[in-house]
Amino acid sequence: MHDNLAISATGLVKKFSGRRVVDGVDIAVPTGMIYGVLGPNGAGKTTTLRMLLGIIEPDEGHRTLLGTERPRSVSDRVGYLPEERGLYPAMKAREAVAFMGALRGLPLRTGRKRAVDLLEAAGLGHAADDKIRKLSKGMAQLVQLLGSIVHQPELLVLDEPFSGLDPVNQERLEALILAERDRGATVVLSTHVMAHAERLCDRLAIIAKGRRRFEGTVAEARGLLPMQATYTPRNDDAHIADYLPADAQHRGDGWRFTVPQEGSEQVLSRLIGAGYGISGLSIERPSLHDAFVKIVGRAALEDQA
Amino acid sequence: MSRLGTLVRQTMTIARRDFVATVFTPTFLIFLFAPVVMGSFGAIGGLGANAATSGGGEKSRIVALVSGDQARLMMQVDARLRRVYRDADEAPPILTTKEPATDAAAQARAQIDDRGVEVAAVAYGPLDYPQILYTPRATRAGDYLAELAEQTLRAERAGVAPLSSATKIKIDRTTPRLGRGKESGFFAVFAIFFLTLLLAGQVVSGVAEEKGNKVIEILAAAVPLESVFFGKLLGTFGVALLFLVFWGTLISQIGTLMPAGMAAGLAALTPAMGMPMFTLLFFGYFTMAYMLLGAVFLGVGAQASSVREIQLLSLPITLIQVSMFGLGAIAISHPSGWLATFARVFPLSSPYFMAGRAAQSPDLWPHVVALAWQTVWVAIFVAVGVHAFRRGVLQSGSGKFRWKALFGRA
Repeated sequence: MHDNLAISATGLVKKFSGRRVVDGVDIAVPTGMIYGVLGPNGAGKTTTLRMLLGIIEPDEGHRTLLGTERPRSVSDRVGYLPEERGLYPAMKAREAVAFMGALRGLPLRTGRKRAVDLLEAAGLGHAADDKIRKLSKGMAQLVQLLGSIVHQPELLVLDEPFSGLDPVNQERLEALILAERDRGATVVLSTHVMAHAERLCDRLAIIAKGRRRFEGTVAEARGLLPMQATYTPRNDDAHIADYLPADAQHRGDGWRFTVPQEGSEQVLSRLIGAGYGISGLSIERPSLHDAFVKIVGRAALEDQA
Repeated sequence: MSRLGTLVRQTMTIARRDFVATVFTPTFLIFLFAPVVMGSFGAIGGLGANAATSGGGEKSRIVALVSGDQARLMMQVDARLRRVYRDADEAPPILTTKEPATDAAAQARAQIDDRGVEVAAVAYGPLDYPQILYTPRATRAGDYLAELAEQTLRAERAGVAPLSSATKIKIDRTTPRLGRGKESGFFAVFAIFFLTLLLAGQVVSGVAEEKGNKVIEILAAAVPLESVFFGKLLGTFGVALLFLVFWGTLISQIGTLMPAGMAAGLAALTPAMGMPMFTLLFFGYFTMAYMLLGAVFLGVGAQASSVREIQLLSLPITLIQVSMFGLGAIAISHPSGWLATFARVFPLSSPYFMAGRAAQSPDLWPHVVALAWQTVWVAIFVAVGVHAFRRGVLQSGSGKFRWKALFGRA
């Protein structure tokens, strides 16, 4: 195992009622990074995270968390925001944050002081003495996130942290996550919203049907798909398709096609030579969303096969 | 911090939260003053019953069909005999004398059938061979009339003046009275039953709150479930202690609140090992009874998935407590039988029985062993409850029973 890995897992398997909901997942999360665990609904993300944290035990496989094979023994160094949010409705926001810190070994008095600071910084200072039941869902979710970082954990695990938040609170949350990474914490977050992953994650794993289908950077994920060109000729006629790649499709005034492996120069030379000219040309890299759809779709086909 | 230190710290964090969340609510006041409501209903019921009894007592009579001097003499003897009865409930019905008619038997029968007065027994005929009629529930009244006839005849022959003059001196025993040990033992068993019946049942819904508001996932990720369960137990036990301290202080300061009979009964308790040690052991066994029953209730309640299921558990919970009380109470009256051995060893009845033994026997070492034995079972019940919760609710597939979570590494 690498010393600079916050999490390392090999061959994790979890069966519920005989069904393998996690089927041999490998994960290696370097320290100090934001690591995304992506996957469609029911892919096994939450179960994987719960196994990594030691909330449930894997049926097969090994995992190491912050250098130990007993994840519960380092729980004071970990922060966790579960998918199903939970707070005591009768607790004040400040107390809720301090209580969650106390669970992780932070003295209550220190927790209360930090809670006030964190709430102020998150724009919730006015609600510090409000009971949780009086807060909006988004505010309560932020309070819970603050509770998971109040003890300044080395590893922060966030399961679908953006679900249920409005765009303003999503932006606040993104800022908080980046601030945690800048503080030196390792952040693992699961999501099926690609835009967040694309903006935040240094590395990511894509899980589908209980298995890891991809591991790497966002750029590497996007690199799995060829670039797409959108070409608009100066002169158009019925024979132009003979000079374009086979997958070219007419879109509006122009054509869209996959950039060949050797590049787009030869195609463009042929088009210019035939007198079609270039009125417009753009070459786009595929998004993480495209890569995700492709990877997950391929996983579904593999499983059917 | 050591593993044990961490476990204690985590447990106390949970316990503190539960204690504060329970005590600082308006509902707690209802819980705290529930005995007032209970006592009020008891008092109202008692007054009603007393009124009904005394009403009946005023109407009930015994009748002697005697004439002249014998009637006056009988009234004097009756007044003297009644001095023995301190309690109005124990005294025979009020005596009435009447002149006998020609057909005394018919007159006596008519007295019994009188609709205006409830006559329990009637004596007629000569006092040396009196005939006594009595109703089925008035055997004692009949016996009293027979004794009254006997004593009236004696007074007739020897005079009514007392033949002896006694000097009465009240002193306390220096040794326990025979049978007092059993009474003290039963009192101890009953007191623990009463307190646990009042207080231990609330543990059953301990984890329900966390399951309902999804906090259980936060707790399960941050601290061992053993700490969660122990914390819940300690938190509710703290509430129970607060309840006891409040009422204990109140009752001890205002002695008049305690019924006279109960106060006298308590004062007469003479536990075999002395009151200070008995008090200490009683507290220890109450704690153990609470923890043992609480651990079972908590484990079972944690499996419930709705409030309705938790409510359904209240009957079996009460039955378990009554069964353990019954077992302890029977066993303590025959402390050398096989049932006593079973009650001593069976974890749920052990605190009841051993509290009773503390009142009966001065030996200390069995209590040290018993408390250690019960502590081990608290840990076992919690471990089993946690195991079931982990498998059934958290859906952890680990089939391993985690003794180490309690006694060693996580």
